[in-house]
Amino acid sequence: MLRMSGIVKSYGPTRVLEDVDLAVEAGEVMALMGENGAGKSTLVKILAGIEPADGGTISIDGAAVSIRSPGHAQAAGIGYVAQELSIVESLSVAENVFLGDETLGFFRSAASLARRARPYLERVGLDHIDPLSLAEEHSVAERQLVEIARLLSRKARIAILDEPTAALSETEIVRVKAAVRTLAAEGCAIIYVTHRMPEVFDLTQKVTVLRNGKSFPAVETAGLSIGDLIEAMLGRQLGQMFPPRAAHAGEEILRLDACRASGLKAPVSLSLRKGEILALAGQVGSGAGAVLRMLAGVTPIQSGSVTLEGGAYAPSGIAGSIARKVLYCSDDRKRDGIFAVRSVPENLSAPALSAVSRFGLLSPALEGEHVTRIARQFGLGERFLGRLAGNLSGGNQQKVALGKWIGLDPKILLVEEPTRGVDVGARSEIYSHLRKLADEGLSIIFASSDTQEVLGLADRIASFFHGELVRICDADDVTAESLTRDVTRASEAA
Amino acid sequence: MTSQDVSHRAKVTLPKTAYGLIAILVLLVVASVTTPGFARVDNIFVVIRAASLTGIVAIGMSYITISGNLFALSASALGALLAVLFALLTAALGFAAGLFLTLGIAVLCGLAQSVAISLIGNPIITTLAFGTVFRGLAALFSGNSILRIESEAALWLGTARPLGIPTQSWAFIIAAILSWFIIRHFKIGREIVLCGANPKAAVASGLRVGLVTAIACAALSIGVAVMAIMTVSQFSQAKADLFMGYDFDYIAAVLVGGIALRGGKGTPLQAALGAVLIALLQNFMLLHGLSAGVRMTIVGLLVIASISLFHILQGRGR
Repeated sequence: MLRMSGIVKSYGPTRVLEDVDLAVEAGEVMALMGENGAGKSTLVKILAGIEPADGGTISIDGAAVSIRSPGHAQAAGIGYVAQELSIVESLSVAENVFLGDETLGFFRSAASLARRARPYLERVGLDHIDPLSLAEEHSVAERQLVEIARLLSRKARIAILDEPTAALSETEIVRVKAAVRTLAAEGCAIIYVTHRMPEVFDLTQKVTVLRNGKSFPAVETAGLSIGDLIEAMLGRQLGQMFPPRAAHAGEEILRLDACRASGLKAPVSLSLRKGEILALAGQVGSGAGAVLRMLAGVTPIQSGSVTLEGGAYAPSGIAGSIARKVLYCSDDRKRDGIFAVRSVPENLSAPALSAVSRFGLLSPALEGEHVTRIARQFGLGERFLGRLAGNLSGGNQQKVALGKWIGLDPKILLVEEPTRGVDVGARSEIYSHLRKLADEGLSIIFASSDTQEVLGLADRIASFFHGELVRICDADDVTAESLTRDVTRASEAA
Repeated sequence: MTSQDVSHRAKVTLPKTAYGLIAILVLLVVASVTTPGFARVDNIFVVIRAASLTGIVAIGMSYITISGNLFALSASALGALLAVLFALLTAALGFAAGLFLTLGIAVLCGLAQSVAISLIGNPIITTLAFGTVFRGLAALFSGNSILRIESEAALWLGTARPLGIPTQSWAFIIAAILSWFIIRHFKIGREIVLCGANPKAAVASGLRVGLVTAIACAALSIGVAVMAIMTVSQFSQAKADLFMGYDFDYIAAVLVGGIALRGGKGTPLQAALGAVLIALLQNFMLLHGLSAGVRMTIVGLLVIASISLFHILQGRGR
């Protein structure tokens, strides 16, 4: 029914998709899998008309179509449910079902809208909710289902679901899966993007794997083993990208005993030694990031205890963790990691203003020294120092976001997704800088959904799934396959 | 280095203050050539004095804008309240007590607003409400009558011309230089700039966002107090409807000076230049006999034009 062939897409000099093929038949659920950054989201955005393709053809029922805007996609019968839901919380459920549907006209009474919405809601298992209630009164899973009801109402013939279950609990996932089956039973072709193995084997008939912007021919899910699938997803050899591990780690510096925080479904206990790099591996919503945010004082420790260098540690807010030299770098540097409109030196000295001032006055000499030291340690060339942070490449922005903390002589560095949106060259640089800092005695905990990064950089690995710590192992005892099994709950699919 | 950075092109960048200076020079030349009486010494004094008081408040306003809190809409009303209080206090306790108590009250009014801004999160709405409170209190304290003061010291402060320059203009020049120094060279100045540039990153970096808002509000209040005290001293009287409708003038100076609306960019010096530019333009139009309506329209258009210009320049630079 749908056939995409030879799709090419670049962002600037970076090729994100080269020669990608994808085909889905009516009534079929096709899993689209691949590591983060493999190009899944870009591919579905092209199909949904959000991003233009640089080359390639798309045909529906054998006829070539040109999709240049979300409007075109909709007219062609393509429905898209993005990772970030497009539910308007202040509108009713019924209004959300028919959002953007111009065939209804302006003057529809609420009751008639509700009457028209009800059959669609029933088909996605939302028969128990009042179509006139506000969307904000319902859970994330229910809003997800409302979006699927919207696809039904638009008579979408091709549906794209981009990680619809990332933020949902097991029971909620069951409901979404049921709704997807309904959609398929009505003859809709479905592209289902996911990281979760159980869903792939439970729900889909075929799998297309993307790796580094290239597609593999689709294979039948039934004839596939988890091992094959993981191998197809990972495949690459990047051993030389990572620095050698630490020879030995020092004494224990941090200990978590049965800690709970928002985003965690079970208590977490773990420990960290001086000079060690600990990875928290997991997909979005796995709880890996939640542990870091708790340690950074962004979210409170709800129960359990944390010990830092033998003393109790319970930071109240970011300032509290900074005072104890536990420093946190979030996964969104544009939001809270850098000051885009200010120069690189001003960024690098921002957390250390007290250290570079005397009697309330900034000292150019002290600040210059501070900035030069960080720039040298993080490989930021002289030519970047005159720039605004916002004008740097992703890799150099990340160096600024990380480097600004180094000046405070941290004890523990908490990093969420250390190389998100960073090109390969800058990645290996960042890895080697982090390893060098660890060798000098800094302890690092990073959360990552990138399997290779976790395996290559960490001394020990704690894997997370769905708000729970799965296991903690030495990195030497973990393989790409065992790790991927842990963070996707492959055991449940077998 | 494998990472490729865009925007390698070398480009000539003028500091933002330069645009203001160029505009002032152009206007000066055009006005001197075309307008008889413009270049006369006493007219220049009129312009400078007109720019000074507005400029002092605009400098204070620039702290608010740079710190990422947009604008305060309570400045004119606070000015009226402080003028009334200064007149009352001077009449009761003498000039020196009146001066220092008024400055102290101004700082307290600023701090109260900053606490409310931090709680409510919307500086525009918060200061709009505070403005109404201040104007109401001014009417209450003055009993809606004209308050007169008799003080030699106040008269000197309001009318003297040390070295031939009016005291208002001395205050304006000192405020501009001092504020520029604070923003560029003080630790707290850098904190103000960073908080304005990205409040979330400022919090994540452990900067004191609440303190920054408090300092910015206090700086504006001090500027307003200086304007109120000098105005009362000059005319030896105060009333509750002083400075009515001036709020846009302060904001216009900040915007014409090219300070980024979103915060985190610019210096108080730009607000000062903006005030001078607007005063020059007003004077020029006045000498050409343009009516109040026309003058108002033109100043409004100038603000729109300069915001658009700086927006375009900024877009090209990023």
